[in-house]
Amino acid sequence: MNKERREFIRKTGLGVLAGICASSAFMPAFSLEETVLPAWDEKPVPGKIRWGMLIDTRKCLNECSECVAKCHFVHNVPDFGNRKDEVKWIWKSSYEHVFPTSTQQFRTSDVLQRSFLALCNHCAEAPCTRACPTEATFRRWDGIVSMDYHRCIGCRFCMAACPYGSRSFNWRDPREGIKLASVDYPTREQGVVEKCNFCSDRLVRGLIPACAESCPQKALTFGDLNDPKSDIRVLLESNNTMQRKPELGTKPSVFYII
Amino acid sequence: MRINKTILTIGLPALLMFALLAFFRQSGNAVESPKAPPAPVTVDSTRCIAQTEYMRANHMKVLHEWRNSSVREGNRVYTSPNGSRFQKSLNTCLGCHSTNRLFCFNCHMYANVRPKCWNCHLSPMETP
Amino acid sequence: MIEKALKGNRNYWAWIASLLAVIAVGITAYNRQHWFGLTVTGMGRDVSWGFYIAQFTFLVGVAASAVMVVIPYYLHNRKEFSKTVIIGEFMAVAATLMCLLFILADMGRPDRVLNVLLYPSPHSMVFWDVMVLNGYFVINLVSGWTVLGAERRGVPPPSWVKPVIYLSIPWAVSIHTVTAFLYAGLPGRHLWLTAVLAPRFLASAFAAGTSLLILVTLVIKQCTGFDTGKEAREKLAVIVTYAGIVNFFMIGTEFFTAFYSHVPSHMHSLQYLFFGLEGHYTLVPFMWFSLLLGLGSLVVLLLPGRKSSPKWLAAACTGLVVSIWIDKGVGLILGGFVPSPLEEIVDYQPTLTEIGVTLGIWAIGLLVLTLLLKVAVSVKSQE
Repeated sequence: MNKERREFIRKTGLGVLAGICASSAFMPAFSLEETVLPAWDEKPVPGKIRWGMLIDTRKCLNECSECVAKCHFVHNVPDFGNRKDEVKWIWKSSYEHVFPTSTQQFRTSDVLQRSFLALCNHCAEAPCTRACPTEATFRRWDGIVSMDYHRCIGCRFCMAACPYGSRSFNWRDPREGIKLASVDYPTREQGVVEKCNFCSDRLVRGLIPACAESCPQKALTFGDLNDPKSDIRVLLESNNTMQRKPELGTKPSVFYII
Repeated sequence: MRINKTILTIGLPALLMFALLAFFRQSGNAVESPKAPPAPVTVDSTRCIAQTEYMRANHMKVLHEWRNSSVREGNRVYTSPNGSRFQKSLNTCLGCHSTNRLFCFNCHMYANVRPKCWNCHLSPMETP
Repeated sequence: MIEKALKGNRNYWAWIASLLAVIAVGITAYNRQHWFGLTVTGMGRDVSWGFYIAQFTFLVGVAASAVMVVIPYYLHNRKEFSKTVIIGEFMAVAATLMCLLFILADMGRPDRVLNVLLYPSPHSMVFWDVMVLNGYFVINLVSGWTVLGAERRGVPPPSWVKPVIYLSIPWAVSIHTVTAFLYAGLPGRHLWLTAVLAPRFLASAFAAGTSLLILVTLVIKQCTGFDTGKEAREKLAVIVTYAGIVNFFMIGTEFFTAFYSHVPSHMHSLQYLFFGLEGHYTLVPFMWFSLLLGLGSLVVLLLPGRKSSPKWLAAACTGLVVSIWIDKGVGLILGGFVPSPLEEIVDYQPTLTEIGVTLGIWAIGLLVLTLLLKVAVSVKSQE
């Protein structure tokens, strides 16, 4: 009796396993491993795509910081509550800080009161990648200025080189500053530089960046700047837009409608 | 009669499981519609990417190579000599190997090596 | 030859012991930094380089100034520099070592430092700086040590050492030029983004570094009785004077360009350093102290007869070293970060840990210098 029961359980178990195996063979989403599915399976062609972002600051609400919260949660960006150790990928600031070299006199009060999003510009001519002595930061095949945290030596040259203040250094162990951890993305470690990665982790799963997705006003448009038919290119052609500090020749991939 | 019973005990749950998973497939796969829907790669997860002996000696090299080619060149799919395809990711390994939460630690502790993977990546000990 | 560094009187050993004590303090402080991260320093997101990089910049100048004795002795055959040249070379060795240590101390992941060689990136100025600094270290150590060894044995130095010494001359210029290029090529940092930075670095190096060399020879004379010669010191003082004048002239041109063009971003950093900006005045007293001290020291050197008095010479040299240390080290590095790219002003103050590490590295440099000079002086005075 007992032996028979054991046999039954064993066989049923085998059956369940076989079912899972069979289904995962047909449907990758049910494989045991929780891996993301790559959006492309071949080595990408460099320079074909150039990801960019257009921020319609007219739509951006002053009191809302949904994009900042979402981005910082998704990417496990620590918050230590002080300016010195601060790490940030995307943040809001005033016109005079985000566009210090653009027209300051006689701007409309609306522009002066509005808050502007600042993030890595993923420059086509990025000074940070030029300064990096180990190519830990480099321009990817799709125009994203990426960080290789495994290679960064923490010399902070890229921070001195970036004219937009987009880079943060992990002055201390970031895990101490993460209250709510996301399991989708690793943290960084003490002693390396980090910054916005244009959600390359999400792009690979076919998702748009977290900030653009989370914006309740749909003020952020993400797309391929090399594709004349993309939403972002259509908007760029029909609106008057600005880049940050264009005089430096860095060719930012982030544009603003003022 | 006996063989029939065996087939039934194994086959029925297998079929049920398959049906159940197939049914939940839609909800399980619900992904935000991307701009250009990518063609997903079938990922094999039923076996390891290489022989155990090889992996025991060379897993760090494999991970290092995978990381470099996927992060820096965007080449995210590994095709093993027998044709199986894998996503180049630490999670591909942990997908199976983390069922034993001490899989990495036992050996590393024994060999007294302290890789820094878990300074950033979530270790099997930390996953819920 | 190194055994000569192991024989010394009580003062010598007391000096070594006190240096070792400071090194111990430095190691303790570094341990703390290594454990808790660079958060224990005064650096932060806005001012991301501080005391360490300031020391580094200053010391590259000290290292480069060895060329000011190598050129007259080896290129122009001026015999009065025969005793000074080895001191200049060994000072360059110690200074270069300190430079490398300061870079290491400033790094977030010093364990990965070899990545610089593993993934060589010619587009990065840091890569070239690591190359030239290490090269300069080896060149000076090898040439100094070989010539000294030959002298001890009473034979002429091997013929291969001459080209190495000649190589050290352009190499000295290169280390400071590349160091200036570290800063001068960064867009958006207007205090640094100036073509005159490299020449200014060289001028300040030949002023401050050579001053330090004069001071070292005076200390050696005081402690060991070994005199490198009054004539050599006075000639060096002339070099210091001219280099100092050129340095202050170039600082003046920076002021002219910034304030006459009236481009705000060009003025901001200088305003912050010398006049205060939007209520931030932390560095103003230091910068004026540096400027007045430097000019005062130059006046002393220019007055007739003051150079030949060891006391006046020592005072003027100390003044120039301190002045340029503040101006080119601390002022230049911090000024580059203020205001930040988003035009915000954040003040920086070094922490005790940071100062501890800095003192430790200086002590290591002084220890190496002491040992090398002990050998040199012993050989030269035929002990």
